[in-house]
Amino acid sequence: MGGATMDKEPILEVKELKTSFRTERGKVTAVDGVSFDVFKGEILGVVGESGCGKSATAQSILRLYDEKQAIHEGEICFEGKELLSLRPSEMDKVRGNDISMIFQDPLSSLNPVFTIGNQIAEAILTHKNVSKRETYARVLELLRLTGIPAPEKRIHEYPHELSGGMRQRVMIAMALACESKVMIADEPTTALDVTIQAQIMSMIVELNQKLDMGVILITHDLGVVAEVCTRVVVMYLGQIVEEADVKSLFTRPLHPYTQGLMKSIAQLDCDRSQPLHVIKGTVPSLHQIPEGCRFAPRCPFADDLCRSKMPPLEQYGTGQKTRCWHAATISEEGEAIRA
Amino acid sequence: MTISSENIDLHAVKSALKKEQNKILFRQIMTNGSLVVGFVIIAFLMLVALFGPLLIAHDPNTMDVLNRFAAPSADHWFGTDNLGRDVLARVIYGARISMGIGVAVAIIASMAGLIVGIYSSYYKWLDHLLMRISDGIMAFPGLLLALALMAALGGRASNVVIAVSIVATPYIARVVRSEALALKEQTFVEATRALGASDTRIIWRHIAPNTLSSLIVQATFIFAEAIIVEAALSFLGAGIPPPAPSWGNILSDGKTYIYKAWWMTFFPGMTITLAIIGLNLFGDGLRDLLDPHSSKATK
Amino acid sequence: MKTYLFKRLLAAIPVLFIVSTIVFFILQLTPGDPALVILGQEATVDEVEDLRQQLKLDRPIYEQYFNWLFNALQGDLGESYFMNESVIEAILSHLGPTISLGILAEIIAITLALPLGILAARRKGSVTDQSVMAFSLLGMSIPNFLLSLFLILVFSVSWRLLPVAGYAPLSDGLWEHIKFLILPAFALGTAHAALIARMTRSAMLEVLNANYIKTARAKGVKEKWVIYKHALRNAFLPILTVIGQSFLGLMGGTAIVETIFAIPGIGQLIVNGVMRRDYAIVQGAVLYVTFAFVFINLAVDMLYGIVNPQVRLDSKK
Repeated sequence: MGGATMDKEPILEVKELKTSFRTERGKVTAVDGVSFDVFKGEILGVVGESGCGKSATAQSILRLYDEKQAIHEGEICFEGKELLSLRPSEMDKVRGNDISMIFQDPLSSLNPVFTIGNQIAEAILTHKNVSKRETYARVLELLRLTGIPAPEKRIHEYPHELSGGMRQRVMIAMALACESKVMIADEPTTALDVTIQAQIMSMIVELNQKLDMGVILITHDLGVVAEVCTRVVVMYLGQIVEEADVKSLFTRPLHPYTQGLMKSIAQLDCDRSQPLHVIKGTVPSLHQIPEGCRFAPRCPFADDLCRSKMPPLEQYGTGQKTRCWHAATISEEGEAIRA
Repeated sequence: MTISSENIDLHAVKSALKKEQNKILFRQIMTNGSLVVGFVIIAFLMLVALFGPLLIAHDPNTMDVLNRFAAPSADHWFGTDNLGRDVLARVIYGARISMGIGVAVAIIASMAGLIVGIYSSYYKWLDHLLMRISDGIMAFPGLLLALALMAALGGRASNVVIAVSIVATPYIARVVRSEALALKEQTFVEATRALGASDTRIIWRHIAPNTLSSLIVQATFIFAEAIIVEAALSFLGAGIPPPAPSWGNILSDGKTYIYKAWWMTFFPGMTITLAIIGLNLFGDGLRDLLDPHSSKATK
Repeated sequence: MKTYLFKRLLAAIPVLFIVSTIVFFILQLTPGDPALVILGQEATVDEVEDLRQQLKLDRPIYEQYFNWLFNALQGDLGESYFMNESVIEAILSHLGPTISLGILAEIIAITLALPLGILAARRKGSVTDQSVMAFSLLGMSIPNFLLSLFLILVFSVSWRLLPVAGYAPLSDGLWEHIKFLILPAFALGTAHAALIARMTRSAMLEVLNANYIKTARAKGVKEKWVIYKHALRNAFLPILTVIGQSFLGLMGGTAIVETIFAIPGIGQLIVNGVMRRDYAIVQGAVLYVTFAFVFINLAVDMLYGIVNPQVRLDSKK
């Protein structure tokens, strides 16, 4: 499990973030009132199925969307700055510098016509006024830090000449270039082979500990979350439905959706004669969001209250929050899953 | 409940499906601005070409020597030319000639190109031969080749059609060939062959129809090019002989008097440009409709 | 790299062969006797026969063809029937104007098209974008000879800024040389500018959707650099294709514009040659033009490798 010493003060505070897009079929709200904090040196997991808004949240923090198409509401506070109200030139200074990001597919995320050395150097030179020689040295250092062998040779190579795992290391090297306080990792291992996944994840953990760098890890893989995260946030259809530290999440999941997710993980030693657990129904489209609690149509515990009124995100015990009218009663019936 | 062929009304299902497909197609067409505007322009010009002569007062060849170089007026909307002929009448009759040639070339080049392209894609040895010849024809500027052909054949409308069709065919053949090559690799062709279909049947029943969408788009652009080439040939004096009022001839007459009588150049020029704009829009719209993924700028 | 070059040049030979064959036979079909045209209507039958024999026009077609081919392979393209010079001299002396015109037209086209295409892509859907697209449609649709007439009317006749027609070689001074080429270059370049602008716009739009652009922005790279450094480099390949094709087109399509502006280039040479049945000139000039096409195609392919390292022509690692 990751995480160095945590301060009481969060370094990044997301407050009621809402991101909507103008589409042909009307306005779609992909991120609907999301709030969470990131503390120094922790690894925060953001979990959910495809389309739940986790990537959209990440990209909204760095304001990567074209703001003619995307509308942001709410606040994002970082080191005393309110990110959503910064001018584009000021926001440029935050990106890659204070907050960095790595993406899912390293092949398409690296520019094919520039060498990796060039691209890492750009990460440095965009924010710091350094001499060529110093930049070169720093690039080598970053390549070594991310475990890339023979960095002097690699520096002149193009992305298509490297393997998948190597490319992701390069992405991470770029993200570390300016010693950012927070790194957002958007499904960093989904596009990689399983063995490489493990390597990359352990490197991220190592960097988190060595550099005391906060990590927002976006993933749909609960196994990785259990291994690596300090705290977790679970998202469904644009909202946070549960927030907890990793141990509590796995031993005592409060929200029916989280419970469903836990049950769906096939265990090595589970009873083979039983069918795999499935959460019934499918995720509704963002154009047809149900009234009341968004999970109600698929929830085994839903009643009329659930179907008519949206439950707020409320605290339950220390550090655990959930968005459910019946959390208190469900948790007593809830099952414990081995972490 | 078991589903059997008795409790499904196949016809009802089929026609409902067809109706739905047609509705979607209709919506796609109506929202395609290029297609609609292009079509309106072309339709308008074609109507003018077909019925215009019935509606106008003047004759394209009547010379009114006392009324030469008359500026546009109520009697002569487009003015008169150096021999006193009504420019509007000449432009309208010219539409028949120029657009007629354009259509003819588009059709002939399409048919020839389809045959060449399909058979090239199917038989390797034929491919080498025909594609080399096509490369040869395309390696040379179209206008000059057409010019040489016109010199050889003589200045007549039918020869213009032949010459320009020869120049245009390779472009269509290329497009058809590349579509056909891609189609050949698809499994439905293998399946049909496994069922024992002859080559000819596969070619004409299965591959050719699927190349038609690209072909029609290309043919539209060929139509436009043909109008331009005919105009250029006539302008150089190597096309349709005067006094036939092809648009190129009218422009050729006008160029000498451009300062004195701008209307001799302006109106026919505007008409040609309008025709080309219409065809380009229509071709673009058609391409969007039939194959939204093709690269946009190549013609 | 060398073997690739060699192979490409080798592949060009059949094309040259076919083109020259086609043109040769077309010319042979052309009615009209060059000897008669040279000597004029009053010549006697004997004089015409003599000249025909001199020009070897009385030999069977295939013999004429092989004679020509044989000589051509040795670098001798024969003598012009009308002008007092060898075909090669004629071609060389007419080369300069066409090349100058082509280069100027291409420069105008690229200078107009690239910025407009990029602008349209950045402001997709806006009024700016639609205007650029509308102008490019207009530019593509006006036939170049028409545009020539229009330009002459406005700039030469009405405003008297530029000469109506004519030509001055570079040796007369840069401005002298250019001022005769500006209008024809615009007439030629406009249509190409339209095509290049469209391709630039669509290539940029596609590239701007790519993931590596998102990465560049996430690194904090200023938008200006994102567009010009990251996006344009990647979009450039298809844009280069269109520029290459347009340059090819310029080499050929100059014929009518050269005629209107009285520029003594290859285009005009060929047009006159065809009209006057000067077979030798037409044969030779056709060969030159075709060869130029092949050569320019090759040069463009070489450029691809420089612009996009993934397309390098030598073997990959």
